[in-house]
Amino acid sequence: MNFEACFRFLAERLKDEIIVTSAGNSSELWWDITHETERVFYLEASMSLASVFAAGIALGTERTVVAFNGDGAFCMNPGMLLVERQLALPNLKHFVISNRVYGSTNDLGHPFGELMDYAGIAKACGIERIYDFATLEGLAQGLDDMIKAPGYAFAVLRVDPLGRHLPSPPLDGPEVKFRFGRYLERTGGRPVFDAPLHPK
Amino acid sequence: MSGNAADTASRRIVDVTADCGISLVASLPDGWITSLITHYSRDARFKHVAVNREESAIGLCSGAFFSGLGTFALMGASGFLTCIYAITKINYTYQIPLLIGITLRGRPGDRAKFHQSNGLYLQSVIQAIDIPLVTIEKADDIPRIGTAYNHSRTMSRPVVVGLTREVLRGEA
Repeated sequence: MNFEACFRFLAERLKDEIIVTSAGNSSELWWDITHETERVFYLEASMSLASVFAAGIALGTERTVVAFNGDGAFCMNPGMLLVERQLALPNLKHFVISNRVYGSTNDLGHPFGELMDYAGIAKACGIERIYDFATLEGLAQGLDDMIKAPGYAFAVLRVDPLGRHLPSPPLDGPEVKFRFGRYLERTGGRPVFDAPLHPK
Repeated sequence: MSGNAADTASRRIVDVTADCGISLVASLPDGWITSLITHYSRDARFKHVAVNREESAIGLCSGAFFSGLGTFALMGASGFLTCIYAITKINYTYQIPLLIGITLRGRPGDRAKFHQSNGLYLQSVIQAIDIPLVTIEKADDIPRIGTAYNHSRTMSRPVVVGLTREVLRGEA
């Protein structure tokens, strides 16, 4: 499916969830479409750690946390699925974006992109709720089940390469941290920082 | 080595980490910390997560900072050396505090030849990326783990506590 259409659809449907994006295309495209600065943690240069980072966030909230990893990131650390299965967090939803290129480095071809069966790997790891979305129609049909039904879920998004370079979100790391952390505190999360912004 | 002495040392470390507010421990084993990991896994004050690789401990604990949990990433020296990218990219870029516990492998007395590279390079690497290192050389140093945790939160960067073989065996 078309990558941008896929993300536009997800951005339209995932309005209440906490979002963690990975290096390259997922951060750049989510930013380009939404310009969101609070409920999204743009974990750029994360090298495969976006979903376990999201798992850490999900440990402390009942809200749904959605993580995006690229297929390049996934291949660096497929064992992440074993950790996620062990945690079995009911509010963690993990998407792998399979565009078969390294999107952050000028769409250089992914050497294993055509070989990998990400859903098969997830199944072999013992994950029960697995989705494999190759079309926008399929995504539209299955997304609510994946996101709304309680339980850890893993999904593959089969998309075409983006084919163009987008700028990174114009936020320095500490700004991402404070916007995101204060947002969580303000919307009912536990205190993140040692000192509240507005002491009672 | 006395098993009781190692147990006592592990219990002290576990108690100090609980007292300073840590409730999530992510670990990968090293032969020196199996007793300590076992204590964490059996202690109801903690959620213990056995991760697939040390970088996952860095990622999980860094995310959990935003869940308001105090966290401790526990690993061997060799595993720590695989985490330089994750630490410098995630924790330094976003200024996320994290307490990391490691074994001080490769010191004189460690007879494992495959750990001698840690003796040669571990502390140099730690210094090269400017992570404060708090060494726990004897049982009386164990409370410094709490100080290291608080320091990490104050400076919004990771702090490493280095555990010696003698402390972990209850011999110092």
